[in-house]
Amino acid sequence: MGNKQTIFTDEQLDAYQDCTFFTRKEILRLHGRYHELAPHLVPMDYTNDPDCKLPLALIVNMPELKENPFRNRIVESFSEDGMGNLSFNEFVDMFSVLSEMAPRELKAIYAFKIYDFNVDNYLCKEDLEKTLNKLTKEELTPEEVELVCEKTIEEADLDGDNKLSYADFENMITRAPDFLSTFHIRI
Amino acid sequence: MFHAEEEVQEDKMEELNPGGLMRLLSEESTQSTLSSDSCEYYQTEIFDQLPSIQAIRPAQANQGGPESGERTSYGALSRDKTSTQPLRNLVMCIQGKRDARDRRKMQRNNIGFWESWRRSQSINAKRIWAQMGGALSSLLPWRRTLHAIEGRFGVGVKSYFIFLRYLICLNLLHCALISGFILGPTAYYGRSKNSVPLRFEDSDSFLDFFLGSGYLDRSPVFFGFYTRGSLDKPCLNTPLLYFSGILTILLLSLIMVVRRTIVGYKHTWMLGKRYSTNVCYKILCGWDFTIHDPSAAALKRSFIRNDLKLFLDEQRFSMRKGQRTLGQKMRLYILRSTLNLIVLALLGGAFFLIYYATIQSQKEDGDNGLVSLLFQYLPPITITFVNLVLPHIFRKISSFEDYSFTTQVNVTLVRSIFLKLASLGIYLFFVFNTEETQQSLLQCRPNRFGREMYKLCIFNFLATFCNAFLLSFPRKLVQECCPTSLLARMSGKQHFLVPFNVLDLVYGQTVSWVGVYYCPLLPLIGTVTMTVTFYIKKFTVLRCCVAEQRTFRASNSSVLFHFMLLLGLFMAAVTLGFNLHQQEVKTKLNTVPCGPFGNGETVFNVTDTCVKSLPRLAQSTLRYLASEAFALPLILAEIIILTSYVSRSRANQRAIERLKDMLVMSSSDKRFLVKEHATILKKKKHNHRAPSATVHENPSSTPAD
Repeated sequence: MGNKQTIFTDEQLDAYQDCTFFTRKEILRLHGRYHELAPHLVPMDYTNDPDCKLPLALIVNMPELKENPFRNRIVESFSEDGMGNLSFNEFVDMFSVLSEMAPRELKAIYAFKIYDFNVDNYLCKEDLEKTLNKLTKEELTPEEVELVCEKTIEEADLDGDNKLSYADFENMITRAPDFLSTFHIRI
Repeated sequence: MFHAEEEVQEDKMEELNPGGLMRLLSEESTQSTLSSDSCEYYQTEIFDQLPSIQAIRPAQANQGGPESGERTSYGALSRDKTSTQPLRNLVMCIQGKRDARDRRKMQRNNIGFWESWRRSQSINAKRIWAQMGGALSSLLPWRRTLHAIEGRFGVGVKSYFIFLRYLICLNLLHCALISGFILGPTAYYGRSKNSVPLRFEDSDSFLDFFLGSGYLDRSPVFFGFYTRGSLDKPCLNTPLLYFSGILTILLLSLIMVVRRTIVGYKHTWMLGKRYSTNVCYKILCGWDFTIHDPSAAALKRSFIRNDLKLFLDEQRFSMRKGQRTLGQKMRLYILRSTLNLIVLALLGGAFFLIYYATIQSQKEDGDNGLVSLLFQYLPPITITFVNLVLPHIFRKISSFEDYSFTTQVNVTLVRSIFLKLASLGIYLFFVFNTEETQQSLLQCRPNRFGREMYKLCIFNFLATFCNAFLLSFPRKLVQECCPTSLLARMSGKQHFLVPFNVLDLVYGQTVSWVGVYYCPLLPLIGTVTMTVTFYIKKFTVLRCCVAEQRTFRASNSSVLFHFMLLLGLFMAAVTLGFNLHQQEVKTKLNTVPCGPFGNGETVFNVTDTCVKSLPRLAQSTLRYLASEAFALPLILAEIIILTSYVSRSRANQRAIERLKDMLVMSSSDKRFLVKEHATILKKKKHNHRAPSATVHENPSSTPAD
């Protein structure tokens, strides 16, 4: 229906529709957004899967991400190389997980990855301190930060190893009623 | 030397482990993370081979084989739901999902027609449900307003408006039920032949709208209008429909409010821990990712910071509380009991004032216009005045009692709830127990009650209106024009106090429930007034108020709001029951037949007639159900069911505690074993090196020989 677009093949759009929470129109709109971040870098024709990655600095300046204290970590956790360079696939993946329709389990997994600054599959005290500092822009004193992080670990740590594994994190998230409504970005 | 230190440490661990308590073990782990052993633990070879670590690793390396990619092990996704999970829910990059999709397509060719049809049906059903859910949530009005309010004032103020919207929906439902049960049949089947026709008479005036007398007295607004019309079957007549309509309204409200209370309770107090005092939620679920605006982001950051400071304040407060000496405690308790006595005295004074106002208003006859209007409205004015002034006094009093901030808010709330509901209850008590004068016998008694409730409702709305436009708005104007004047400095910045506003809503809804039997259009009036109240409050919040720095803990008290609503509903039910009983007792005195139960009929007569007309079996069943022989076993059965649920929950709680201890033990065992293994490997390497060193030495020593 509508006009024939030449950016993607029909098969590609079907695949995107199955693999993400977006419809065909939204995928095309996302491509438009991706393209306008760097019009000279991003090709208009994606039918042969070009290998084009945009750097972190361009993506975190998007209005949806600009005010987010965790914007760097969000982009890094969706990039394959861990440095924040996103191809279009990863770009779509990021907004798909952060969309309204993604289920709680999926969002919890990525939330854990985002807060895990040193990428060791555990939220240790340093991760939590970094999270807190980003959240409050370092307006709390170091003693207060330490007290809050200790209390956090004490509340959520189930297996007594003084750090939060994914199981601890997920157990805590299931009890948070507004996680789904706060952990989403509308694009 | 190095090994000796390690051995000492292992001995210490062995000593600690038999202790087995969670606290001890976490100390041990704290010690180990601080020492240099921690880096070693995660870098040992065996650590990488542990099954729990192996399960997590392939999900990180997304390309590691298509099978391992699908078999991710995070939580529930790890079990065999992966082949039927929608592709979108898998934790993989898009390329991995594409491969999985191709694989599934190939699989689909091997599944039979029936299986694929079933799967596609389930996918379509899920899609339809998701669309319906989306459509329903977009039907909810005022979403953008609520979003704007949340952005500027936080979740607490937004929760008030959500509660208001919920009450509006509840009232709309009541209106629908009333039009179905009461208005519809009356409109279609007409009223009785000797009922007073509805038209303007000479003695009507504009004041009737406020007093509920005259034209309004004869209109469909009140009980007296709905007489028994042409619908006169034994089990399907106007009185029975009227009564069952009211009963349905109360039952439906009960079910809906109880359901919301329970849902809120589960969220807040699950597993014995409070959501709002858990600091891990504030950090890990605190930021709202939908914020675009820099000013909204700054505001949100300040909310989070204030929340954390409040938490730290409460920590300091509980430390201080623990350090109170005996003398300080005694002084504090004496102070608190004095203040509570003052509160009781204030409450007593308020009730006496209401009693006095009720007596005065009933002495008044209602001859001349505005003065009599004022006298008639004296009780509602007193009640509203008392409810306006006393909660603020309670707030001031609770600040002297040295409680933590949350406890202060809760204590003030409890006192204010008691004040509001008890003042309404006392007023109703005096209205119902007034002596019957000669004139009042000529009027319709239920209409009189309906009129009082109507006046309460109208005045409540007027008070909200005047509060917004005669108090809040001028205060803001004073703040804006001359901020340095004495008046501005005395009044201070305005904050939107959520608890008191919610109490007003609960009070209004309680009045609506109490009065719905005598004034069936009260829910309609309630809907209209509440919708206008929404816009008035929106104006007050957005134009006149400033965001409060100490944010109100919304989730903690949404249970409290709904519980207050339940109390109001309970009061309404008790009032209705009491009045029906009185109707039965005083039926001889009711000389003026009015409403559906005219001619000396009561609810019980009408239901009796209906039951008698049913077939024998139904009659005997109903009589059995209403008798004591059924009530007693029913109560016993309920007690047994409740006991079983309570004991099951206690057993679950104990199981959870045991599982937690087991988890801590196993994790500690794992750490111990990994370290042991690493130590043994090191020893082996050392032993290997030592003999090889001696082997090297020998050739070097032989030339010396």
